[in-house]
Amino acid sequence: MYWLILLMVIVSSGNATIRYIFSNSSNAWLEVQWYLFSAVFLLCSGYTLLKNEHIRIDVVAGRLSRRAQIWIDILGTLFFLFPMALLILTLSWPMFMKSFTMMEMSSDAGGLIRWPVKLMIPLGFSLLMLQGVSELIKKVAILTGDRPDTGDHGHHHHTAADGEAA
Amino acid sequence: MTQFLIANMAPLMFGALVFFLLLGYPVAFALAANGIVFGLLGIELGLLNASLFQALPERVFGIMRNDTLLAIPFFTFMGLILERSGMAEDLLDTIGQLFGPIRGGLAYAVVFVGALLAATTGVVAASVISMGLISLPIMLRYGYDRRVATGVIAASGTLAQIIPPSLVLIIMADQLGRSVGDMYAGAFLPGLVLTALYAGYIFLVTMIKPSYAPALPLEARTLKGMALIVRSVTCLLPPLVLIFLVLGTIFLGIATPTEGGAMGASGALILALAKRKLSWSLMRQAMDTTAKLSSFVLFILVGSTVFGLVFRGVNGDLWVEHLMTGLPGGKLGFLIVVNVLMFVLAFFLDFFELAFILVPLLGPVAEKLGIDLIWFGVLLGVNMQTSFMHPPFGFALFYLRSVAPKSDYIDKVTSKLTPKITTGQIYWGAVPFVVIQVIMVGLVIAFPDLVSGGLDKGAAIDTSTIKIEVPQGEYGGSGMYGGPDNK
Amino acid sequence: APAIAQSMPEIKWRLASSFPKSLDTIYGGGEVLAKRVAEATDGKFQIRVFAGGEIVPGLQVLDAVQNGTVECGHTVSYYYVGKDAAFGFDASMPFGANTRQQNSWLYHGGGMALLREFFAKYNILNFPCGNTGTQMGGWFRKEIKTVEDLKGLKFRIGGYAGKVMSKLGVVPQQIAGGDIYPALEKGTIDAAEWVGPYDDEKLGFNKVAPYYYYPGWWEGGPNVSVLVNKAEWEKLPKHYKAVFEAAAAEANMDMTAKYDVLNPPALKRLIGAGTQLRPFSKDIMLACYKAAQETYAEEAAVNPAFKKIFDHWSAYLAEQRSWFSVAEAGFDSFVLYGIPKK
Ligand code: NA
Ligand code: NA
Repeated sequence: MYWLILLMVIVSSGNATIRYIFSNSSNAWLEVQWYLFSAVFLLCSGYTLLKNEHIRIDVVAGRLSRRAQIWIDILGTLFFLFPMALLILTLSWPMFMKSFTMMEMSSDAGGLIRWPVKLMIPLGFSLLMLQGVSELIKKVAILTGDRPDTGDHGHHHHTAADGEAA
Repeated sequence: MTQFLIANMAPLMFGALVFFLLLGYPVAFALAANGIVFGLLGIELGLLNASLFQALPERVFGIMRNDTLLAIPFFTFMGLILERSGMAEDLLDTIGQLFGPIRGGLAYAVVFVGALLAATTGVVAASVISMGLISLPIMLRYGYDRRVATGVIAASGTLAQIIPPSLVLIIMADQLGRSVGDMYAGAFLPGLVLTALYAGYIFLVTMIKPSYAPALPLEARTLKGMALIVRSVTCLLPPLVLIFLVLGTIFLGIATPTEGGAMGASGALILALAKRKLSWSLMRQAMDTTAKLSSFVLFILVGSTVFGLVFRGVNGDLWVEHLMTGLPGGKLGFLIVVNVLMFVLAFFLDFFELAFILVPLLGPVAEKLGIDLIWFGVLLGVNMQTSFMHPPFGFALFYLRSVAPKSDYIDKVTSKLTPKITTGQIYWGAVPFVVIQVIMVGLVIAFPDLVSGGLDKGAAIDTSTIKIEVPQGEYGGSGMYGGPDNK
Repeated sequence: APAIAQSMPEIKWRLASSFPKSLDTIYGGGEVLAKRVAEATDGKFQIRVFAGGEIVPGLQVLDAVQNGTVECGHTVSYYYVGKDAAFGFDASMPFGANTRQQNSWLYHGGGMALLREFFAKYNILNFPCGNTGTQMGGWFRKEIKTVEDLKGLKFRIGGYAGKVMSKLGVVPQQIAGGDIYPALEKGTIDAAEWVGPYDDEKLGFNKVAPYYYYPGWWEGGPNVSVLVNKAEWEKLPKHYKAVFEAAAAEANMDMTAKYDVLNPPALKRLIGAGTQLRPFSKDIMLACYKAAQETYAEEAAVNPAFKKIFDHWSAYLAEQRSWFSVAEAGFDSFVLYGIPKK
């Protein structure tokens, strides 16, 4: 998935260069940029949750006991994450279907067809939901002792020193 | 009870948000959940109906098609390639050597690089993230006080929004109905003054607490004389090439400011390749981290769009408007109240919401009081910069938190165990800079020329002397009274 | 008396505007509507106006009305030509109607019946609720003298007009909103169009692009509509409907009147600040006209809904033009060009 980042960089620099040198370009290539970015940030949201990279304010929570933190994660997944993901997931499906059935296009000259990017919303939030379920199971398993605890909010990746630690 | 709830939905929403966020569950979902809870309460109280929630996918789609946000992955990716390939470290290390004998040298370098980055991007997230990646480990290595190091990085990162180009100024210009160009011209000098104030603060630190921002230790200052000069040239060249690619391509009319970020990212890749420092694993790491960072930043926007929708749904904007009406009279009174209000609301709302809720309410009042709206916009811009640095909900602080070490690690040069950065350290580091922002607000009020000096003051145009003249009958006409016949 | 209370129920609507508050004239159309409706119902029928982005992004107002997210929306229907090119007829099409012709076609020329039939597929009723008058052609960094000059011209122009222009080699570039000003300043793009002098002056494009071209042939008299969700409309008491319709009609006229008052001094200020006024040459206009007719033929061949409205619309305009060429054109021609200048 993250390869799309490289693709975005290439497309965007390519747009600028080609427009400048050949005085040619199209809205399709401009729209590809945000199509790709939408795919990246929506489809990676579940993965980001897995890696515990969704930012938290741990100034108070950091002082709670480990058990309390796990409970917060369980309740947060149930009452914060699930409602949001479910709500947007269910509401975005009809939006996609409408766009799909009418074969909605960009309203700008030479722009792209819309349904693929609109599909990213229900898809992204589904993946987020699934990851939420997985987190829930893991946290419950820690509480019941079926799974070793990996530390303060689970994983810690990509601090500046990781490259060396590996 | 019901009446009390209806009348106080907005402050209750703020209060609950503080509680939700402090629980330590990811900000994006806490923001959204807060919105949903109050949305349901609002439906129960008859303030809104459930169909309003259908705006959510449309709003998410609005975030997706906002091309300005593309700057976030571009600049993050550029920063990561620079950092992971060691080029950034070479650069800061060299600057460190140059400024080596000077106390606070690295911190000055961060402020300087921050201002340079600010001139290329208008997105604070991109700036803070790339600087946090590049400079934090080095400052920690050389024994900087953790609060000073994090504060300088977060603050220098927020320069992105006051030094043009700037997303905040664009939105401000739009909301106040003024030209973006004028807003840029007006913000330029205040941006420089702020940069100077940051440097001044570092100077103060080095005078009062020299150990907080030490000079490079003697053993780290390995280069002297000619060797240092050669090293400086070779290390400064790549970033200069990048600055050219980002800024130069914008100035030469090759790239839009958003595309400039991509140009810089491509350039970083090519440089790393040329230096034989680009490996597949490095690329994968950089892309992986960029994807996760983009996701968490954009999901905060998704969360806050849920919050923002419901805030409007329960008439929170009317509550704010109510606060604004009936302010004590006078220009200065208005300015003070507005700035205090902005400062306080910045604890809860991000700058998008501030700009969209407050600015349209304040603009007309300011205009009635005879306040120049460009000046007013820049003033609010400086004030809003604090919204990025406010503990506990400053976005710049979130971004820095996301790239600062979360666990103890072994520094690869000194092989010393380096403790993690705590959130508290980041918060305390930000406080002095929030104070500097407040001072700057005072300066802008006291010396309006800081802003208006940058504007070209075309003499007021006397429209009575101007004639609209057009060629006659350009496209043909009836030919009887004028048209092609007498052309 | 209970009878009156029943016939005057309290109704609260939300109106999602496509426009920011800074575009006071065009955004103001929604407020004029809301104010009149409230006044005429003794405050019983309240419509709250939300600027673009406050509830839904400005370009998604139609979807929001269709879904019933809001009861009504204030927008220009050509934003939705990506869903169906026929939406353009509700607003403006290249080389189409001027303001008066657009209004006469909508109110009494049979246009409304056709459009209502088309909008019914979206559960929406459309009402004219504003018109900007003929717009300007936009800001250009360099002079455009010949059709050849259009080749490779990087122009920020949206919608159907961009499609027409791309036939002539123009490169339509829909770059990010905040990028327009710096991109135009540095020449990353060559031109950008917006509305007319009063709105354009606020953006300051005159400082970075000296040539101000006219006319905006793609917007001879663009109609701004208030779109109402059908189910919500049906819930209104009969006289609320009448009030709403009358208020929309007033807002329609009111907006044109405001623009006509505000544009001349704004244009003078722009000229005083160095703006160079330029008409598109006749050759360019003819080439664009021809390209527009080609796109119409192409669209009509594949889109029956488009063809149905287009046939009616073009026949109507032909009649209108032969009539306008007599008294209107004669009068205008004399007062504009025939009176000797002092
Ligand atoms: Na900037
Ligand atoms: Na226009």
